[in-house]
Amino acid sequence: MTDLARGTQLFHFAAAFGAGGLLTLMVLCNGTLAAHGSLFFASWVPHLTGSGVALFLLIILRPKRATPIRPPLWAYLGGISGGVTVMLTSATMNTALALSGTIALGLAGQVVFSLFADVRGLFGLPKRLPKQRDYLSLALILAGSSILIFLGGDA
Amino acid sequence: MMIYAALAVLAGLLVGLSRQINGRLALSTSALESSFWNHFVGLFFITCIALAVGGLFAGSPGNAPWWAYLGGPIGVVFIAAGSWLIPRIGAAHTAMLIIAGQMISGVLLDIIFKAPGSTSARVIGILCILVGVWVARSPTKRGKKG
Repeated sequence: MTDLARGTQLFHFAAAFGAGGLLTLMVLCNGTLAAHGSLFFASWVPHLTGSGVALFLLIILRPKRATPIRPPLWAYLGGISGGVTVMLTSATMNTALALSGTIALGLAGQVVFSLFADVRGLFGLPKRLPKQRDYLSLALILAGSSILIFLGGDA
Repeated sequence: MMIYAALAVLAGLLVGLSRQINGRLALSTSALESSFWNHFVGLFFITCIALAVGGLFAGSPGNAPWWAYLGGPIGVVFIAAGSWLIPRIGAAHTAMLIIAGQMISGVLLDIIFKAPGSTSARVIGILCILVGVWVARSPTKRGKKG
């Protein structure tokens, strides 16, 4: 690996790690909304303000389209999947699974899907075969997450 | 119980699915545009469901602190980042690094807010995650391709 490629990878890794930090803040905000209003409200408001902010940024920044070819229509439907997620998690959070079980099983589902998506190159994204190192890394991250979820809280 | 466990796993699958689809849209357009459509289509979808079920404005949402309304703008950056990263480092790396960042920042937030918790579990959990992230990096050995 060249130094340049190595630097790029580090940047990508740092960006993804930072995005995880943003997710924590987002969950804190939306969870606080849900504590005062309904679960629908806690999902509806961020989608409303998010649409407005994204539209505003699109108008100001005018990012170039990567290709002149129109993407398939289904590529616009990622938001529906996200909307269903909110309802599922709010449904399971209040069962015996509790928040910790919901989060842990959700992480497992996410990881299984992402591995499968990479192997098959799902939805027209590049195919890539996970290496042994990746499985080890995933196992460590999931183990660490489980420790935090089940043992790190107010036990 | 099993059905709820299955639903919780399904929720995780859908997170991955939505990231994959948004990433595909970003490949043809841009990460920001993908983030916009994710929010806009999601807004339409949730509005329809909320109108059908009712109770959107139940409770006392007016009592929430002002900063609770910042989840949307943060989400715009978050979705754009995911859509930008997934074609570049793959779905698995994107998912596990986001999880790592989320878990560790969650612990930091708990410490800042002085949430009670086991210090030893936090230290061991964070160490496991950091070692996992370190293992994921491509090897530096010459001749090996990352």
